[in-house]
Amino acid sequence: MNKEISITINGEIFQQSVPIRMLLVDFIRDVAGLTGTHVGCTFEGVCGACTIHLDDEAVKSCLMLAVQADGRSITTIEGLAANGKLHPLQKAFNDHHALQCGFCSAGILMNMAEFTRTNRKLTEDEIRNALVGNLCRCTGYAHIVDAIKEVAGDAGSISAVHQHNLERA
Amino acid sequence: MYPAVIETYDVPTSVQEALQAFAKRGNDSCFIAGGQSLMQAIKARVISPKSLIDLQRVAELNGIECNQGAVRIGAMTRYRDIAADERLDGAFQALRDAASHVGDRQVRNRGTIGGSLCWNYIAACMPPTCIGIGASLDLVSKGGKRSLLAEEFLQSPLETARRDDEIVVAVTLPTPQKYCGSAYKKWGLVTDALPVVCVCAFIDLGNDGRCQLARLAVGGLATGPRRANVGEKALIGVSATDASAISDAAETAAASTETQSDMWADAEYRKKLIGILAREVITTAFARAARGKHS
Repeated sequence: MNKEISITINGEIFQQSVPIRMLLVDFIRDVAGLTGTHVGCTFEGVCGACTIHLDDEAVKSCLMLAVQADGRSITTIEGLAANGKLHPLQKAFNDHHALQCGFCSAGILMNMAEFTRTNRKLTEDEIRNALVGNLCRCTGYAHIVDAIKEVAGDAGSISAVHQHNLERA
Repeated sequence: MYPAVIETYDVPTSVQEALQAFAKRGNDSCFIAGGQSLMQAIKARVISPKSLIDLQRVAELNGIECNQGAVRIGAMTRYRDIAADERLDGAFQALRDAASHVGDRQVRNRGTIGGSLCWNYIAACMPPTCIGIGASLDLVSKGGKRSLLAEEFLQSPLETARRDDEIVVAVTLPTPQKYCGSAYKKWGLVTDALPVVCVCAFIDLGNDGRCQLARLAVGGLATGPRRANVGEKALIGVSATDASAISDAAETAAASTETQSDMWADAEYRKKLIGILAREVITTAFARAARGKHS
């Protein structure tokens, strides 16, 4: 029924006995108390609001059990900034007002933070395609895409992402 | 949504351990691969396994091996790794077409080819793709091993030939002839949506540039993924420049496929879509086949 697990979240180890059926997103929110990771669609796994990094890869934390992340390392939106300095995507979202209610933002930022790590310029088509797994119901994506383009598009400074990741590491 | 109570959770590190775990836990247990479909079903309580046996740490199930054109894809290989593997280009490129547009980035980071085949959802990309490229599935149980063609393995939606105590360990593809190509395309309501219909084509050209073997597989069907044999026969002897013959074969494939009406498309519209998709993937498969084998 219960299993003792240990998950590193944003560098901090959380060790606890949890029900096997507990979803990873609930572990993050209720056990670790990190509520920046959101629950949107609640079960279909289509909204992407719960996107986190599992060993540096973007995954939906509502489509995993907490026990499946035992021994692994997770980054949530709270861990995206480096030493108090915002990730270039966070700054660009701010500059472009790439959010309205903000519910989807954490998931989009976590997905895009991995996507832009490829360290190459991305086209608008590639960016829009990469956003398929994140639903925004307010802004209609235009400002979101603009913000991501500023970081990773033709005129972007993808090296800033690289630099940020080095500082975070 | 919250899953029903799960009593035990095992994380084996080998296929043998996984089989032992199943034997110990009994018939209410369930293997879980990437979980991108299964977790939805568990959360919706479509299924309520008492025990979960997680295959994510079984290293021998992960990875793609290519040996003189023959390919072995471990069942736990994720979409992202299939989508990125250029060694599949040509004969088995349909796998990359399909894997690169399954779900979304997050799903492709977790979802696996073996999991998709074992779930055999009606609106899935891997089942018709594996039938189209002529894949076989290797299964292992305590009783031994067996190998089944994808089209034998995949039955009606959500049904396969896998017994509960069996693990699909790999998808295998035989060494292709010199001039082979494949392609896959789906049609859904929005970008990268679940396929309402989807088609995979595999073309083998002789030295004269004419098709000597063709396979067409259609997905999104109430019957489960199916080959369009009549359409395949119509392609024999056809060359890449015979646009009208290709078009006719695609129409034949569509006309001979049994389609259903549902909230996404009625039966007639499905046939229309199958015809268009079939023409596109056949044309692409011809072009890829003509390039020949990588040296």
